[in-house]
Amino acid sequence: MTRKGILTALLGIMVLSVSAQDKFFTKSGRISFVSKGLIETNSAAHKSVTAVLDSKSGQVQFSVLMKGFEFRKALMQEHFNENYVESDKYPSSTFKGQITNNGDIKYQTDGEYNATVKGTLTLHGETKPVEATGKITVKGGKPRLQSDFNVQLSDYKIGIPSMVKDKVNNTVNISVDCSLEPLKS
Amino acid sequence: MSRRTTIIIAVLLLIAAGAIWGYREFTRVPASLTDLDADHTVDAVSLIKEFTTNDSLAGKKYRNAILAVQGQVKSIDSSGNFYTIVMGDTSDMSSVRCSMDSSHFAAMSAGIQRGKAITIKGAITGFKKDETGLLGSDVELNRCVVQQ
Repeated sequence: MTRKGILTALLGIMVLSVSAQDKFFTKSGRISFVSKGLIETNSAAHKSVTAVLDSKSGQVQFSVLMKGFEFRKALMQEHFNENYVESDKYPSSTFKGQITNNGDIKYQTDGEYNATVKGTLTLHGETKPVEATGKITVKGGKPRLQSDFNVQLSDYKIGIPSMVKDKVNNTVNISVDCSLEPLKS
Repeated sequence: MSRRTTIIIAVLLLIAAGAIWGYREFTRVPASLTDLDADHTVDAVSLIKEFTTNDSLAGKKYRNAILAVQGQVKSIDSSGNFYTIVMGDTSDMSSVRCSMDSSHFAAMSAGIQRGKAITIKGAITGFKKDETGLLGSDVELNRCVVQQ
Protein backbone atom coordinates (compact mmCIF):
# COMPACT_ATOMS: atom_id res chain seq x y z
CA MET A 1 0.00 0.00 0.00
CA THR A 2 1.29 3.47 -0.89
CA ARG A 3 1.82 6.20 1.71
CA LYS A 4 -1.25 7.98 0.34
CA GLY A 5 -3.28 4.78 0.70
CA ILE A 6 -2.17 4.26 4.32
CA LEU A 7 -2.98 7.90 5.15
CA THR A 8 -6.46 7.58 3.61
CA ALA A 9 -7.09 4.35 5.57
CA LEU A 10 -5.95 5.99 8.83
CA LEU A 11 -8.17 9.01 8.19
CA GLY A 12 -11.07 6.66 7.48
CA ILE A 13 -10.52 4.86 10.80
CA MET A 14 -10.33 8.21 12.63
CA VAL A 15 -13.60 9.42 11.06
CA LEU A 16 -15.33 6.14 12.00
CA SER A 17 -13.97 6.40 15.55
CA VAL A 18 -15.21 9.99 15.98
CA SER A 19 -18.59 9.05 14.51
CA ALA A 20 -18.93 6.13 16.95
CA GLN A 21 -18.22 8.44 19.89
CA ASP A 22 -21.20 10.62 18.92
CA LYS A 23 -23.56 7.96 20.18
CA PHE A 24 -24.12 6.97 23.79
CA PHE A 25 -26.40 4.39 25.34
CA THR A 26 -27.45 2.45 28.40
CA LYS A 27 -29.64 -0.56 29.03
CA SER A 28 -29.64 -0.01 32.79
CA GLY A 29 -31.26 3.40 33.06
CA ARG A 30 -33.79 4.23 35.71
CA ILE A 31 -37.29 5.65 35.49
CA SER A 32 -39.63 6.07 38.41
CA PHE A 33 -43.08 7.53 38.71
CA VAL A 34 -45.18 8.88 41.53
CA SER A 35 -48.94 9.26 41.65
CA LYS A 36 -50.16 11.28 44.62
CA GLY A 37 -53.74 10.38 45.45
CA LEU A 38 -55.83 11.92 48.22
CA ILE A 39 -55.37 8.92 50.52
CA GLU A 40 -52.06 7.42 49.47
CA THR A 41 -49.08 7.88 47.20
CA ASN A 42 -48.19 5.16 44.75
CA SER A 43 -44.79 4.87 43.19
CA ALA A 44 -42.85 2.42 41.06
CA ALA A 45 -39.35 2.14 39.69
CA HIS A 46 -37.80 0.61 36.59
CA LYS A 47 -34.10 -0.30 36.44
CA SER A 48 -33.81 -1.56 32.86
CA VAL A 49 -34.44 1.48 30.70
CA THR A 50 -32.77 1.48 27.30
CA ALA A 51 -31.66 4.94 26.22
CA VAL A 52 -29.74 6.05 23.13
CA LEU A 53 -28.40 9.55 22.55
CA ASP A 54 -26.88 10.89 19.36
CA SER A 55 -24.90 13.82 20.71
CA LYS A 56 -24.27 15.17 17.23
CA SER A 57 -27.92 15.53 16.26
CA GLY A 58 -29.43 15.71 19.76
CA GLN A 59 -31.80 12.86 19.02
CA VAL A 60 -32.67 10.79 22.03
CA GLN A 61 -34.73 7.65 22.51
CA PHE A 62 -35.90 5.76 25.58
CA SER A 63 -37.76 2.48 25.83
CA VAL A 64 -39.08 0.35 28.69
CA LEU A 65 -40.99 -2.88 29.08
CA MET A 66 -44.05 -2.07 31.17
CA LYS A 67 -43.86 -5.26 33.23
CA GLY A 68 -40.44 -4.14 34.47
CA PHE A 69 -41.94 -1.53 36.82
CA GLU A 70 -41.56 -2.67 40.41
CA PHE A 71 -44.00 -1.55 43.11
CA ARG A 72 -43.75 -1.97 46.86
CA LYS A 73 -47.27 -3.42 46.93
CA ALA A 74 -48.00 -6.51 44.85
CA LEU A 75 -51.68 -5.62 44.45
CA MET A 76 -50.85 -2.24 42.93
CA GLN A 77 -48.37 -3.87 40.55
CA GLU A 78 -51.05 -6.34 39.44
CA HIS A 79 -53.62 -3.58 38.92
CA PHE A 80 -51.07 -1.46 37.05
CA ASN A 81 -50.29 -4.24 34.57
CA GLU A 82 -53.77 -5.72 34.22
CA ASN A 83 -56.16 -2.79 34.53
CA TYR A 84 -54.30 0.45 33.85
CA VAL A 85 -51.53 0.05 31.25
CA GLU A 86 -52.65 -3.41 30.02
CA SER A 87 -49.08 -4.67 29.71
CA ASP A 88 -49.97 -7.83 27.79
CA LYS A 89 -51.63 -5.74 25.07
CA TYR A 90 -49.16 -2.83 25.16
CA PRO A 91 -45.88 -4.36 26.41
CA SER A 92 -43.60 -1.36 25.97
CA SER A 93 -43.45 2.40 26.13
CA THR A 94 -41.10 4.60 24.12
CA PHE A 95 -40.07 8.21 23.98
CA LYS A 96 -38.43 9.60 20.85
CA GLY A 97 -37.30 13.17 20.91
CA GLN A 98 -34.88 15.91 20.08
CA ILE A 99 -32.81 18.03 22.46
CA THR A 100 -33.82 21.48 21.22
CA ASN A 101 -30.76 23.27 22.65
CA ASN A 102 -28.27 20.54 21.76
CA GLY A 103 -25.80 23.14 20.48
CA ASP A 104 -25.41 24.49 24.04
CA ILE A 105 -24.26 21.14 25.42
CA LYS A 106 -20.54 20.48 25.24
CA TYR A 107 -20.30 16.71 25.33
CA GLN A 108 -16.51 16.84 25.34
CA THR A 109 -16.33 19.15 28.38
CA ASP A 110 -17.20 18.09 31.92
CA GLY A 111 -20.05 20.14 33.33
CA GLU A 112 -23.76 20.40 34.02
CA TYR A 113 -25.98 21.65 31.22
CA ASN A 114 -29.69 22.51 31.17
CA ALA A 115 -31.54 20.78 28.39
CA THR A 116 -34.98 20.85 26.84
CA VAL A 117 -36.31 17.90 24.92
CA LYS A 118 -39.31 17.76 22.62
CA GLY A 119 -40.71 14.54 21.32
CA THR A 120 -43.45 11.96 21.45
CA LEU A 121 -44.28 9.51 24.19
CA THR A 122 -46.03 6.28 23.26
CA LEU A 123 -47.83 4.68 26.18
CA HIS A 124 -50.84 2.34 26.29
CA GLY A 125 -50.91 2.45 22.47
CA GLU A 126 -51.36 6.24 22.39
CA THR A 127 -48.71 8.63 21.08
CA LYS A 128 -48.72 12.21 22.38
CA PRO A 129 -46.29 15.13 22.18
CA VAL A 130 -44.22 15.75 25.30
CA GLU A 131 -41.84 18.58 26.16
CA ALA A 132 -39.61 18.31 29.21
CA THR A 133 -36.71 20.09 30.81
CA GLY A 134 -33.81 18.41 32.51
CA LYS A 135 -30.09 18.41 32.88
CA ILE A 136 -27.21 16.65 31.21
CA THR A 137 -24.16 16.11 33.37
CA VAL A 138 -20.99 15.29 31.46
CA LYS A 139 -18.25 13.60 33.45
CA GLY A 140 -15.24 11.93 31.90
CA GLY A 141 -16.83 12.17 28.47
CA LYS A 142 -19.96 10.30 29.57
CA PRO A 143 -23.33 12.05 29.73
CA ARG A 144 -25.93 11.47 32.44
CA LEU A 145 -29.49 12.44 31.50
CA GLN A 146 -31.94 13.50 34.22
CA SER A 147 -35.42 14.88 33.84
CA ASP A 148 -38.74 15.24 35.67
CA PHE A 149 -42.01 15.78 33.91
CA ASN A 150 -45.73 15.16 34.32
CA VAL A 151 -48.10 13.20 32.14
CA GLN A 152 -51.87 13.00 32.31
CA LEU A 153 -53.15 9.41 32.34
CA SER A 154 -56.30 10.50 30.48
CA ASP A 155 -54.14 11.65 27.53
CA TYR A 156 -53.10 8.02 27.09
CA LYS A 157 -56.60 6.63 27.60
CA ILE A 158 -55.63 5.03 30.90
CA GLY A 159 -58.88 4.92 32.83
CA ILE A 160 -59.12 5.12 36.61
CA PRO A 161 -62.00 3.09 38.08
CA SER A 162 -64.29 5.24 40.26
CA MET A 163 -63.61 2.97 43.27
CA VAL A 164 -59.95 4.02 43.39
CA LYS A 165 -60.29 7.62 42.16
CA ASP A 166 -59.06 8.89 45.53
CA LYS A 167 -55.99 6.62 45.41
CA VAL A 168 -54.79 7.24 41.86
CA ASN A 169 -54.14 10.73 40.56
CA ASN A 170 -54.65 11.49 36.88
CA THR A 171 -51.35 13.40 36.94
CA VAL A 172 -48.27 11.22 37.23
CA ASN A 173 -44.79 12.61 37.84
CA ILE A 174 -42.07 10.77 35.92
CA SER A 175 -38.36 10.95 36.79
CA VAL A 176 -35.67 9.77 34.40
CA ASP A 177 -32.04 9.10 35.35
CA CYS A 178 -29.79 7.45 32.75
CA SER A 179 -26.00 7.32 32.87
CA LEU A 180 -24.80 6.65 29.35
CA GLU A 181 -21.72 4.93 27.96
CA PRO A 182 -20.11 5.48 24.55
CA LEU A 183 -21.63 3.21 21.94
CA LYS A 184 -18.83 1.22 20.34
CA SER A 185 -19.80 0.12 16.87
CA MET B 1 -77.76 -18.82 72.46
CA SER B 2 -80.67 -17.42 70.51
CA ARG B 3 -80.86 -17.72 66.75
CA ARG B 4 -80.53 -13.93 66.41
CA THR B 5 -77.33 -13.82 68.47
CA THR B 6 -75.84 -16.64 66.38
CA ILE B 7 -76.59 -14.76 63.17
CA ILE B 8 -75.06 -11.52 64.53
CA ILE B 9 -71.89 -13.34 65.63
CA ALA B 10 -71.63 -15.10 62.26
CA VAL B 11 -72.02 -11.79 60.38
CA LEU B 12 -69.41 -10.09 62.61
CA LEU B 13 -67.00 -12.97 62.07
CA LEU B 14 -67.52 -12.73 58.32
CA ILE B 15 -66.89 -8.96 58.37
CA ALA B 16 -63.74 -9.47 60.49
CA ALA B 17 -62.47 -12.21 58.15
CA GLY B 18 -63.13 -9.99 55.12
CA ALA B 19 -61.34 -7.04 56.74
CA ILE B 20 -58.30 -9.19 57.62
CA TRP B 21 -58.19 -10.64 54.08
CA GLY B 22 -58.53 -7.15 52.57
CA TYR B 23 -55.79 -5.70 54.76
CA ARG B 24 -53.40 -8.57 54.02
CA GLU B 25 -54.12 -8.35 50.30
CA PHE B 26 -53.68 -4.54 50.30
CA THR B 27 -50.34 -4.69 52.11
CA ARG B 28 -49.00 -7.81 50.32
CA VAL B 29 -45.52 -7.27 48.90
CA PRO B 30 -44.23 -8.97 45.74
CA ALA B 31 -42.98 -12.45 46.68
CA SER B 32 -39.25 -13.09 46.70
CA LEU B 33 -38.33 -15.54 43.97
CA THR B 34 -35.87 -17.37 46.22
CA ASP B 35 -38.49 -19.80 47.48
CA LEU B 36 -40.61 -20.05 44.34
CA ASP B 37 -40.19 -22.80 41.74
CA ALA B 38 -39.39 -21.82 38.16
CA ASP B 39 -42.09 -22.47 35.55
CA HIS B 40 -39.44 -23.15 32.88
CA THR B 41 -35.74 -23.96 32.91
CA VAL B 42 -34.00 -22.84 29.75
CA ASP B 43 -30.50 -21.91 28.61
CA ALA B 44 -29.87 -18.28 27.75
CA VAL B 45 -28.85 -18.81 24.11
CA SER B 46 -31.94 -20.94 23.35
CA LEU B 47 -34.19 -18.39 25.04
CA ILE B 48 -32.79 -15.55 22.92
CA LYS B 49 -33.19 -17.69 19.80
CA GLU B 50 -36.83 -18.47 20.62
CA PHE B 51 -37.63 -14.75 20.87
CA THR B 52 -35.60 -13.63 17.86
CA THR B 53 -37.19 -16.38 15.74
CA ASN B 54 -40.79 -15.67 16.77
CA ASP B 55 -41.25 -13.18 19.57
CA SER B 56 -45.04 -13.48 19.52
CA LEU B 57 -44.97 -17.26 20.07
CA ALA B 58 -42.22 -17.06 22.69
CA GLY B 59 -44.06 -14.20 24.41
CA LYS B 60 -47.17 -16.37 24.78
CA LYS B 61 -45.15 -19.37 25.97
CA TYR B 62 -43.35 -17.46 28.72
CA ARG B 63 -46.00 -14.85 29.64
CA ASN B 64 -45.79 -13.95 33.35
CA ALA B 65 -43.53 -16.96 33.95
CA ILE B 66 -40.69 -17.42 36.39
CA LEU B 67 -37.67 -18.67 34.47
CA ALA B 68 -34.51 -20.42 35.60
CA VAL B 69 -31.99 -19.32 32.96
CA GLN B 70 -28.71 -21.16 32.60
CA GLY B 71 -25.76 -19.66 30.79
CA GLN B 72 -22.52 -17.77 30.79
CA VAL B 73 -22.15 -14.34 32.35
CA LYS B 74 -21.34 -11.82 29.60
CA SER B 75 -21.06 -8.85 31.93
CA ILE B 76 -22.33 -7.35 35.15
CA ASP B 77 -23.77 -3.85 34.69
CA SER B 78 -24.15 -1.62 37.70
CA SER B 79 -26.00 1.62 38.21
CA GLY B 80 -25.77 2.88 41.77
CA ASN B 81 -26.84 -0.01 43.99
CA PHE B 82 -28.61 -1.82 41.17
CA TYR B 83 -27.03 -4.71 39.30
CA THR B 84 -27.89 -6.45 36.07
CA ILE B 85 -26.30 -9.75 35.13
CA VAL B 86 -26.09 -10.09 31.36
CA MET B 87 -26.12 -13.66 30.01
CA GLY B 88 -25.71 -15.25 26.62
CA ASP B 89 -23.23 -15.75 23.83
CA THR B 90 -20.37 -13.23 24.01
CA SER B 91 -20.16 -13.08 20.21
CA ASP B 92 -23.83 -12.06 19.93
CA MET B 93 -25.14 -8.58 20.77
CA SER B 94 -28.45 -10.01 22.00
CA SER B 95 -28.65 -11.11 25.63
CA VAL B 96 -30.75 -12.17 28.56
CA ARG B 97 -30.62 -9.26 31.00
CA CYS B 98 -31.36 -10.13 34.61
CA SER B 99 -32.13 -7.17 36.86
CA MET B 100 -31.12 -8.44 40.26
CA ASP B 101 -33.18 -8.35 43.43
CA SER B 102 -30.97 -5.91 45.33
CA SER B 103 -31.76 -7.46 48.72
CA HIS B 104 -30.22 -10.74 47.56
CA PHE B 105 -27.48 -9.58 45.24
CA ALA B 106 -24.90 -8.54 47.85
CA ALA B 107 -24.96 -11.97 49.47
CA MET B 108 -24.95 -13.90 46.21
CA SER B 109 -22.60 -11.88 44.04
CA ALA B 110 -19.38 -13.38 45.43
CA GLY B 111 -17.61 -15.36 42.75
CA ILE B 112 -19.86 -14.22 39.91
CA GLN B 113 -17.66 -12.99 37.11
CA ARG B 114 -17.54 -12.77 33.34
CA GLY B 115 -17.44 -16.20 31.70
CA LYS B 116 -18.80 -18.10 34.71
CA ALA B 117 -21.69 -20.49 34.07
CA ILE B 118 -24.58 -19.80 36.44
CA THR B 119 -28.34 -20.22 36.78
CA ILE B 120 -30.49 -17.20 37.52
CA LYS B 121 -34.14 -17.28 38.46
CA GLY B 122 -36.22 -14.28 37.47
CA ALA B 123 -39.65 -13.04 36.44
CA ILE B 124 -39.79 -12.41 32.70
CA THR B 125 -40.87 -8.88 31.79
CA GLY B 126 -40.65 -9.29 28.02
CA PHE B 127 -38.53 -8.97 24.91
CA LYS B 128 -37.00 -5.70 23.78
CA LYS B 129 -36.42 -5.86 20.06
CA ASP B 130 -33.56 -3.68 18.87
CA GLU B 131 -34.84 -1.24 16.27
CA THR B 132 -31.56 0.63 15.91
CA GLY B 133 -29.43 -2.32 14.80
CA LEU B 134 -26.76 -1.06 17.21
CA LEU B 135 -27.67 -2.55 20.55
CA GLY B 136 -28.90 -6.13 20.14
CA SER B 137 -32.28 -7.45 21.26
CA ASP B 138 -32.80 -8.54 24.84
CA VAL B 139 -34.99 -10.82 26.90
CA GLU B 140 -35.48 -9.04 30.21
CA LEU B 141 -36.08 -10.51 33.66
CA ASN B 142 -36.44 -8.73 36.97
CA ARG B 143 -36.49 -9.58 40.71
CA CYS B 144 -33.70 -12.03 39.84
CA VAL B 145 -31.86 -14.24 42.29
CA VAL B 146 -28.88 -16.48 41.72
CA GLN B 147 -29.89 -20.11 42.01
CA GLN B 148 -27.40 -22.04 44.13
